[in-house]
Amino acid sequence: MQTRFLLPLVGLAFLAQVNAQTPLRVAAAADLEPVLPPILEQFRLSTGIRAEATFQASAVLTTQIQNGAPFDLFLSADLGYPKRLIDAGLADAAGTADSSTPITYAKGTLVLWTRKDSHLPPPSLDLLRSPALKRLAIANPERAPYGRAAVAALTTLKLYAALKPRLVTAENISQTAQFVDSGNADAGLISLTSALTPRLTADGAWFVIPRNLYPPIEQGAVIVSNTTQRAAAHKLLDYLLSPPVQAQLAKSGLTPIH
Amino acid sequence: MDWQALALSLKLATVTTAILLAVAVPLAALLVLGRSRWLAVVEALAALPLVLPPTVLGFFLLVLLGPRTAFGRGITALLGHPLAFSFSGLVVGSVIYSLPFAVQPLVAGFASVPPSLVDAAQLLGASPARLVRTLFIPLARRSLLAAAVLSFLHTMGEFGVVLMLGGDIPGATRTLSIVLYNQVENFDYAAANRTAATLLGLSVVALAAIYLGSRSRGSRHA
Repeated sequence: MQTRFLLPLVGLAFLAQVNAQTPLRVAAAADLEPVLPPILEQFRLSTGIRAEATFQASAVLTTQIQNGAPFDLFLSADLGYPKRLIDAGLADAAGTADSSTPITYAKGTLVLWTRKDSHLPPPSLDLLRSPALKRLAIANPERAPYGRAAVAALTTLKLYAALKPRLVTAENISQTAQFVDSGNADAGLISLTSALTPRLTADGAWFVIPRNLYPPIEQGAVIVSNTTQRAAAHKLLDYLLSPPVQAQLAKSGLTPIH
Repeated sequence: MDWQALALSLKLATVTTAILLAVAVPLAALLVLGRSRWLAVVEALAALPLVLPPTVLGFFLLVLLGPRTAFGRGITALLGHPLAFSFSGLVVGSVIYSLPFAVQPLVAGFASVPPSLVDAAQLLGASPARLVRTLFIPLARRSLLAAAVLSFLHTMGEFGVVLMLGGDIPGATRTLSIVLYNQVENFDYAAANRTAATLLGLSVVALAAIYLGSRSRGSRHA
């Protein structure tokens, strides 16, 4: 009888022990999936703090944080979603000059990507005007920052109306890359971070969409307010903003902030 | 309320259910009547879509139906357009995705037909087709109904496969579950509530009507 009561207690004690070493939980935008894991590993080697990332569309992560998901740090692909969390009192940028504005940690780059074995001419702005382009994949413009940038660029080029019937919309920027890498879409407006992955570098070619065609894809970070590991979260954020890591981001397809 | 998406979902569910019944009735009869050991493998394969996460199934279909496989190129040549991002592509995905929901109830229903009746009919020289028409279908009517209802509802609520294979094209691949998901993701909870309530309300009414019909017919026969 007594052991029956004791066992769960021992279990609880064990859980509490495990809890003390909980890794830092990072909610990260899908475009960081090829970029972040090696950086987190270096961070662990240099600080001893273990951090684990969950990759999702920024909007999905925002909903999860609104509903109490146990994240410590949120790395969005835009500034709007983290700002929304700040306004709801669920996240903050405490420790910086302006604690109510997300901390910009990088800028994203939009590229036009096609497979090398495609029957289409190599990617360029002219390709977007070509009638041979039957299906163009973009990320969902209502919530994926790269999708918004794609629509903005097409609108600036005055091609949006003409291309609209030929657009296929993917859930997030990784799926956009899947649509075009699988050959189902002729071309895609994807992130440079995806285009620089070994797989897509081997399969295709890309053209950097001129930056004056769309508003910058500024990526913002916030600390989730009910984190129990605020100091560690700040440490990771500072690490991301440090010059060597910023240089590394540049190699992975993100533009450093300085 | 996005009526175009509702209409599309209803059309997809109807077409899928019709195809599934046409495929699953002979398949279930074969599984129940057949003697070969290989049928165990067939039965296992028919249950397999339950194992894969729907988005993964959708991804495999995207690759399989795409221009990079001989199969995908063949289908594209046959239809004149690629299957991905089209209504027909969603039908193919839905039929595969809901296959177990049609096959399982039918196998259970057909297997519960007394073997003595089946043996007697076979002794009298009834062909398998005739067995299905005159024995299995009338005696396992509720299983047939269950297979149809499950296939229909499972397709109405289908999400992962459509998400991967559809490309969110209004009128062609933007189904109600995609609209609902978009509304939730865009923080438009009021619209999401309306869409979900419409979907649930319609389903309850339709299901109650079907079950009421089968109940009164059933009791008349009893």
